[in-house]
Amino acid sequence: MPGKLLYSRGLALAGLYFAGFVLSGQSLLESVADRYCTGCHNDRLKTGNVSLANAGTLAPATLEKVLHKLRAGEMPPAGMPRPDPAAVTTLTTWLESELDRNALAHPNPGAPAVHRLNRAEYRNAVRDLLDLDLDHSANLPPDDSGYGFDNIGDVLTVSPLHMEKYLSNARRIARLAVGTLKPSSTLERFTPPRGTANDSIDALPLNERGGILIHRYFPFDADYSILVRVRGNPGPGMPPAKLDLRVDGKRVKLYDADIDTAEANQGTRNFQLRLPFQAGAHDIGAAFLTENAKLEGAIRGPNNNPSTNGLFVDYVAIGGPYDPKGHGNTESRKRIFTCLAAGAQTPCIRRDLASLARRAYRRPVTAADIDPLMKFFEMGRADGSSGFGSSFDAGMEMALTALLVSPDFLFRVERSNGPVSDLELASRLSFFLWSSIPDEELLQTAERGKLRDPAVLRTQTLRMLRDPKSQALLDNFAGQWLQLRNIAEWHPDPQKYPQFDDSLRHAFERESSLFFENIVREDRSVLDLIDADYTFVNERLARYYGITNVYGSYFRRVPLTGKERGGVLTQGGVLMVTSYPTRTSPVLRGKWILENILGAPPPPPPPNVPQLEENAVGSAKSLREQLEKHRASAACASCHSRLDPLGFSLENYDGVGKYRAQEGGSPIDASGSISNGTTVTGPAGLKKVILERKDEFVEVMAGKLLTYALGRGLEYYDQPALRQIRREMAADNERFSSLVLGVVNSVPFQMRRAPEK
Amino acid sequence: MIITKKSLPRRTFLRGLGAAVALPLLDSMSPALAAPNRATVPRMAFLYTPNGIIMKDWTPSAEGAGFEFTKTLQPIEAFRDKLLVLTGLEQHNGESLGDGAGDHARAGASWLTGAHPKKTEGADIHNAISVDQILAREIGKETPLPSLELGLEDVRMVGNCDSGYSCAYSNTISWSSPTTPLPYETNPRGVFERLFGDGETTDASVRAIRARQDRSILDFVQADTARITADLGAGDRRKMSDYLDSVREIERRIQRAEEQNAKNPELPALDRPDGIPPTFEEHIHLMYDMMTLAFQADLTRVITFMYSREGGNRTYPQVGVPDAHHGLSHHMNDPAKMARLQKIDQHHVQMLSYFLGKMHAAQDGDGTLLDHSMIVYGGSLSDSNRHLHDNLPALLIGGKFQGGRHVRYAKGTPMTNLFLSMLDVAGVHPEKLGDSTGKLDYLSL
Repeated sequence: MPGKLLYSRGLALAGLYFAGFVLSGQSLLESVADRYCTGCHNDRLKTGNVSLANAGTLAPATLEKVLHKLRAGEMPPAGMPRPDPAAVTTLTTWLESELDRNALAHPNPGAPAVHRLNRAEYRNAVRDLLDLDLDHSANLPPDDSGYGFDNIGDVLTVSPLHMEKYLSNARRIARLAVGTLKPSSTLERFTPPRGTANDSIDALPLNERGGILIHRYFPFDADYSILVRVRGNPGPGMPPAKLDLRVDGKRVKLYDADIDTAEANQGTRNFQLRLPFQAGAHDIGAAFLTENAKLEGAIRGPNNNPSTNGLFVDYVAIGGPYDPKGHGNTESRKRIFTCLAAGAQTPCIRRDLASLARRAYRRPVTAADIDPLMKFFEMGRADGSSGFGSSFDAGMEMALTALLVSPDFLFRVERSNGPVSDLELASRLSFFLWSSIPDEELLQTAERGKLRDPAVLRTQTLRMLRDPKSQALLDNFAGQWLQLRNIAEWHPDPQKYPQFDDSLRHAFERESSLFFENIVREDRSVLDLIDADYTFVNERLARYYGITNVYGSYFRRVPLTGKERGGVLTQGGVLMVTSYPTRTSPVLRGKWILENILGAPPPPPPPNVPQLEENAVGSAKSLREQLEKHRASAACASCHSRLDPLGFSLENYDGVGKYRAQEGGSPIDASGSISNGTTVTGPAGLKKVILERKDEFVEVMAGKLLTYALGRGLEYYDQPALRQIRREMAADNERFSSLVLGVVNSVPFQMRRAPEK
Repeated sequence: MIITKKSLPRRTFLRGLGAAVALPLLDSMSPALAAPNRATVPRMAFLYTPNGIIMKDWTPSAEGAGFEFTKTLQPIEAFRDKLLVLTGLEQHNGESLGDGAGDHARAGASWLTGAHPKKTEGADIHNAISVDQILAREIGKETPLPSLELGLEDVRMVGNCDSGYSCAYSNTISWSSPTTPLPYETNPRGVFERLFGDGETTDASVRAIRARQDRSILDFVQADTARITADLGAGDRRKMSDYLDSVREIERRIQRAEEQNAKNPELPALDRPDGIPPTFEEHIHLMYDMMTLAFQADLTRVITFMYSREGGNRTYPQVGVPDAHHGLSHHMNDPAKMARLQKIDQHHVQMLSYFLGKMHAAQDGDGTLLDHSMIVYGGSLSDSNRHLHDNLPALLIGGKFQGGRHVRYAKGTPMTNLFLSMLDVAGVHPEKLGDSTGKLDYLSL
């Protein structure tokens, strides 16, 4: 193994001496290993599959593990004799510098596999290419995940179902973009999320409630019908509530919602309007004015909103198109037809196709790319359109369809061996920060060969972070790393947690999203993720958290006192998705912390773990007492002594993230001691322990981000890169931009090892 | 941070399927090679209901013929003569067998495979080929779609779905190879488009133009892929060749569909659905409508359908059950909870009766579609509270066996024996499927 050979040579040359210590690096390693480790980790027993005999000849892969365990204080295990802390520090410092030196001399950037665009990337690429932002997730099979993310090249497989869907999607997208869709009337229904009747909606006036905002794509210049159906019963003796209907922020009608509650007169609950729309995306808003409003802070029940006179929107149905006039001059058409339309000459068509293909394929294109697309143009033109548009349009539709299923579009293929090319770097950057194709500026910079210049690379990276498209980092990276995506699909038991509804769910999502987004936009320290003295709440969430003087359903930043909230570990959404639907689980939470915050994922449970006894679950014992069984056997305790205490420190938060002092009548005991002997009590203790090990957390976060950026799992040879990123971040107060720049400048991101042919 | 995973084993997606169809593709190009008499090749469907069943309200007390229909089974009483209630079958490989928790993942993964899935959250999942895919491989050659995988619940969970098992295990029951779970389609519009192409119409001439265009596009894709992969490393070439296999598979289906098009001048009228209907009942009815149509037009002969994923948490307020299904299924022997669960079980069987009604009304040669089918309805957990994988709920419905009976099997009889018998009827004779010990007795095929 090349690594091992080189390393041995490296060690032989080491001969480093540390002031005040008799033993040099290698000899220190060997003597420590002999005395404290080889009792279990020897060639015969090979505990944990590791032997540390002949420590001087160990490969980097093993030494990385040794370094990690020593730094985390996890080895030797608690209760066994340990070397004195000074020697451990010397040893770890030496190991780190040796491993880093080796990596510098013999960089191993790894070899990410060919990478199919996942659903998010596909959606964003189409959006950026054609200005058409559609939710394709309904039309594409879900992507499998690996290493916690769904953008891992090796794991993104292709099945015939994918191929079918790509083909039918390509047709649909091409038709919508060019405007050759055949008009057929449909009725599409939109329902407000449950429990949101008392919330205001961001893009609608603040004094409106009980409504919904719809963002929809209208494929034609045509008439569409908007039907608003109203639910609820008006309070007696009040003037009728006013229903405000808006398109793109402007009012189109104000109704007196004078409904008749008699069963026979259901029809009075429908309010319908037929309007002309221009092709393109529009916002439709329907909500009630609170002109008869009581104070916002008034107590109200979940389904009865006195400020809208008891009414709210049941659903909005949009029907059409009726009397379609044409495909309109949409943004998408402008992107495609940069030359003049019908009657244009072949060179112009070629130019249009070339410009689309260059953006879609993320590189300069040649005749070999354009010729086949021209053939499809001719074929489509000859077949004619089945919907609107001229034969010219039909030709473009066909060519665009072919482009959207081309492997040049659907796959990211790299070829470099060594530093990646400018174009490859541009794609890596844009898929990392935007989950999408490079924009014109980035592509041009790469085409001119300027992107590898460190100053230019830095400027581009920071520009891309500031761009709104970096929202993708929040949705895709944070959404998966912190499992925020699961908040939308979580179903706590309504019997145990009756106060949970979609309004609270939405608040959880918003809090975590805004919090992460704020760290990115204000370039704050990533340590805020662990412990922050602020968070984002609306009235509902503030009351849930016990924060006073917050009114209204929009989100705003509030300062926090105390350690009960602040940081992701104590956010309602995160606490909820690390529980079971019916109760908390210290084991799940402990595991989540170890995997995502402290970088010490526990191994899977050993075989032959018996099921929890039937009568043990649901008995009167507290959860803590039941979990004592984990401590009963040494085999269980070896992992659970690491997991359970961390989870117990969060026991004050129930299965839906609410703070509680008691469970089942007895006060919560939120203390535990972790493997190196430290006690952890409550959220304050947990945050403190993690911040004391902030280097570990920073490296973990860098590791997660690097995994996401590379689209492959990390190996031992990536550890030096993580340490380098950590050092660079330390020089800039761990600001988020320093993390991103660290990843972008790292060896695995800048280079590539081509696999064997 | 220590990464303990080794490098990923190669997931050769659909290699087996691709290879299996590559050769016969040449032979079956000619339409003159008529498909075997439709009436003799059975249609097979596997319908899955998750989170266990309240067995005391499911299992009839009497055995043999003339048994009484229990509360849960009452909605399908009209089909007495066409069904068998099978009691006592088990999926032993769904048990933990030392792997600890994760019964929902194992239930889903073992139901049609009889295999014990590898406990992993990562990319190295490992299960076994499922009976529907064995059928697809053998009898699916003759239809445009070798098989159809359907479901009702969109799947968006990431990472770990059940105690250390990858979400892949609970998200499907269909596996075309040990490492290839097949995603299911939930959107009726998508199903329609797969069956009939994406015109709004079943008009033959429009579909013919579309087919020609699609095949040209796929030719281009293959040429382009060959161009790209010429200078790639072995691993990347393999991945792109999986892509090519998928492309060829779609081409083959389009071709088959064109041939089918010619043979099927009048299809029962069905408008393309717009999307997912708002209620559970409408959704499932629409899916069942399309399943019947798919069988009727011989677009496929193998269908799997999951009412929801294992561990799914749908609520059923329309029958008086506002609780989430999985949460409720941990009933702790509370009679009120068990009563609500029974309502869900019965409601599911009610939906099944809709399907059976449609199959029974559809003419198929000298009989009805139902006469020429073998439909399995059941689940891979019996007692949901204790996560038992034996004494499983199972119904066999159709016309290829002697119905009208409640058959009780000895403890330890594998469910895979039933599947082996079904394969036998379809003319497929593997030695074993999962943990099978032979064909199932007492079916009187």
